Amino acid sequence: MIDLTIDGRAVQVPPGATIWEAARLLGIDLPVLCHDPRLEPVGVCRLCLVEVGEPKLTAACVRGAEDGMEVRTSSERLEVCRRGLVELLLSDYPIDASGRPKTGSDALLALASELGADWPDRRSRSGETGEAPRSRTEPAGGIPAGQGRPLDGTSKVIFVDHQACILCDRCIRGCDDLQVNEVMGRTGKGYQTRIAFDLDAPMGESTCVSCGECEKVCPTGALSLRVWEEPPKDAAGSGNTGWEVL
Amino acid sequence: MTTTTLLGELKKRGVKVRRRGERLLLRDLHGALTPELRAAIDAHREELLATLDGAERSTLRSVDSVCPYCGVGCAIRYFVDEAEDRIRYADGRESPVNHERLCVKGRFGFDYTSHPDRLQTPLIRKESAYPKGPLSTEVRGERKRRPGGLVDYDEVLPHFREATWEEALDLAATRLVEIRDRDGSGALAGFGSAKCSNEEAYLFQKLVRAAFGTNNVDHCTRLCHASSVTALLETIGSGAVTNVFGDVQNADVALIAGSNTTGNHPVAATFIKQARKSGRTKLIVVEPRRIQMADHADYFLQIDSGTDVAFYNSWMHVLIEEGLIDEAYIAERTEGFEELKAVVAGYSPEVAAGICGVEPGLIREAARTFGRAERAMIFWGMGISQHTHGTDNSRCLISLALMTGNIGREGTGLHPLRGQNNVQGASDAGVIPMVYPDYQSVADPAVREKFEQAWGVELDAKPGLTVVEIMGAALDGVIRGMYMMGENPFLSDPNVNKVRKALTNLEFLVVQDIFLTETAEFADVILPATTFFEKSGTYTNTDRRVQVGRKALQPPGGARQDWEITCEIGARMGYPMEYDSPEEVFSEFTALAPSYAGLTYDNLGLTGKLWPCPDPSEDGIQVLFGDRFPTASGRGKFVPAEFAPAKELPDEEYPFVLNTGRRLEHWHTGTMTRRSRALHAIRPGPVVDMHPTDLEALGVEDGELVEVASRRGSIVLPAASSDRMLRGAVFIPFHFREAAANLLTIDELDPAGKIPEYKFCAVRVSPAS
Repeated sequence: MIDLTIDGRAVQVPPGATIWEAARLLGIDLPVLCHDPRLEPVGVCRLCLVEVGEPKLTAACVRGAEDGMEVRTSSERLEVCRRGLVELLLSDYPIDASGRPKTGSDALLALASELGADWPDRRSRSGETGEAPRSRTEPAGGIPAGQGRPLDGTSKVIFVDHQACILCDRCIRGCDDLQVNEVMGRTGKGYQTRIAFDLDAPMGESTCVSCGECEKVCPTGALSLRVWEEPPKDAAGSGNTGWEVL
Repeated sequence: MTTTTLLGELKKRGVKVRRRGERLLLRDLHGALTPELRAAIDAHREELLATLDGAERSTLRSVDSVCPYCGVGCAIRYFVDEAEDRIRYADGRESPVNHERLCVKGRFGFDYTSHPDRLQTPLIRKESAYPKGPLSTEVRGERKRRPGGLVDYDEVLPHFREATWEEALDLAATRLVEIRDRDGSGALAGFGSAKCSNEEAYLFQKLVRAAFGTNNVDHCTRLCHASSVTALLETIGSGAVTNVFGDVQNADVALIAGSNTTGNHPVAATFIKQARKSGRTKLIVVEPRRIQMADHADYFLQIDSGTDVAFYNSWMHVLIEEGLIDEAYIAERTEGFEELKAVVAGYSPEVAAGICGVEPGLIREAARTFGRAERAMIFWGMGISQHTHGTDNSRCLISLALMTGNIGREGTGLHPLRGQNNVQGASDAGVIPMVYPDYQSVADPAVREKFEQAWGVELDAKPGLTVVEIMGAALDGVIRGMYMMGENPFLSDPNVNKVRKALTNLEFLVVQDIFLTETAEFADVILPATTFFEKSGTYTNTDRRVQVGRKALQPPGGARQDWEITCEIGARMGYPMEYDSPEEVFSEFTALAPSYAGLTYDNLGLTGKLWPCPDPSEDGIQVLFGDRFPTASGRGKFVPAEFAPAKELPDEEYPFVLNTGRRLEHWHTGTMTRRSRALHAIRPGPVVDMHPTDLEALGVEDGELVEVASRRGSIVLPAASSDRMLRGAVFIPFHFREAAANLLTIDELDPAGKIPEYKFCAVRVSPAS
């Protein structure tokens, strides 16, 4: 067994356990966007950063616990870093992705409010800056908003907003490793990198079996539930009611 | 702009607006928005933003329950909007069954319960609707069915009048008593349902046995795993699985036989695929269709339909020939091996290849992989059971496990994947004509005495009739009155034209259901019942895990709980059954069913327990039969089987082989899933899957209509080109009334399991004009 301390509290974990898992044993919930205990950690969102007495901060979800390690999970430095990370993720986050119905919660926005983060789309929409809200189709501020990061409403059950995706790959791991449907992957390069179904088919035309795992694990408004307001009066009726949810 | 002004402005512009809590639902937005309105909408959204997530979630009540669909029994948390009495979301819960995973039906298929078609008042057939017969003009053949058809309420409802519960229940009881007293108990029968809870199943069979006075009580287990259970009881003395599906992660080899696992047990399939992906478990799939599981398999053997006995006999032939059997296990734990050896000696892979259409080399290789495994698990489904030799098919799989010593250890076992959410439980509770609860034989005088004492009446010693036999007896006028709780034989039973005549011939039929089903058209009295979401009860999944389903919604209008209705009928027939709650029924049941001993609602908790559960502080026993089998000798018995062809082979007139089954998005006769918006939207109607070359030979394009005809009936539906099919084979799902596959199927039965041959009959396919 491995002995370490986290925020001054001693904890013992089996070899192979990560700092994130050790913290969890102590009831410390480290902020995280790309990780879910059911998935293999990948350490891409970096929000679970902790101090372990090294010059660099380390991501707790992938860093193994070590004997004698002294971990700090909160400090001014960590908070500044985490807020900065969230603000970067939100720098092109479309406000209309917020508030879409989800099985879980929008963890990105929850974290933003917890850390007091601010982001341009929120400011412009609320009229604080006097700027026009960013268009989904026109490039703005050097960021090609919407370009190559479209909306996909082809699935009957899941709505995809690529612009709200932070590429944490939770959906991909949910689809490929948990449900083993192996429909999802990544496509594109650079800013246009995005999640993809099969060989970048629209979700509704892909081999997706609509299990909903991707939406369940998605920590943002990128994958949300399409709301079925009324059951069909007649089974012959079309599926989509056309209601837009606000 | 305030929200109210915003709403006013939107409405003025022809936008349809609804409020749901704090949220706005808008329709016909197109072109109606000025920049000011857009900004106002955005502002509204902004306001919500800060509080929306937390606030909305906190206004929803969460209910920890299970899924109402398949035998996997996933643990689900439903989020209920109490003000609207609606389920808003479903989410997978952590449980040994599903580890938070769900499939499309579990996650999106709950909204049928709030459908406006729900029955809310008892109905009595009007005098003008006699003599009885189908009420839909379409069923009478007077008009063509429009596509997408469920029962047409406008056409059927006018033939019934609304009644009070008192009147409907009195009428039901009076007429049933009248028939019983005039023609004897044997003139009555009941069909229970594997969709209902253990408590409801227990009470239902108690009513039929104690108040009707007959063992003519059965349910759809007869149509799914009756043959598997018959073979299991005969060979290893117990009809349930010997290990849970999740233990596949410890198996070296998993054999999937006749099961479209990703379609019918999607969440169980994820664990099998995951085991394969981990590199630990080799996967062998044996199926006439190249199903999705085959894409994950190490070995895929696409055998011709109905040739399973020859195929597995040849596996056993190879295993014996090459010494890949467990001699010690055979000697210590089994009997009858020499007889089996003699039979399989005649099935070399070369002989089998001629029957099954698979290369002998591939048969050898796959058999060796299975034989060399230290631990192997066998999963099977309807492809094994729904044949006239379904019991033989199962016997072969059991022999395979016995000769390789693959029962009774971690990572080994026999797992017939159970179909309905409570088919295991309804069988355990005794909705089977030959046995009381917990498979205690009605023919055993000591057992009968125990139940006579418990129920305070004399019981019939004669085993009752099975589902298809009851329909036959109704046609012959032997069965005169029936009580059906949640079954829809008009779509689910084979040879529907015959079922229709049988139902018409019944003197009195009580149907208890949530919607007006095809079967209800033939009813004298219809009793509106509750859905899974409107009641509490226990359900037993394919793993033998007993779980509590908890009430999430209120029943609509006058609909009543199924168990209460059953008790009311009993009381009016002179057999009072009084309980305060399903929990009280459960304790009466567990006291009579040794396998369920020790289980209570309290100790079942959130994730349930496996039966048997000798120590209720534990989770129950996962791997059964480590030391002995519950047979007279304590040994497992080899029962050899000879290959026999299906009853109706293709010929010149009917050259194709019809296979029937389910689609991922739909459930059985479609009464639930076709009323679920998401599921219906994904798969709105039927298709017949055929090999592209066969379609080309018919001159039919993908998507064009074809007529599929058998000696018993014909249907018209679009063809779907699929290279996952073998040539000469067609596949039709049985959910769709407008193209009911069971108009075509043959009502020939397996002699031991009495299961119909849904998986094989001869049909003709031609372009439909």
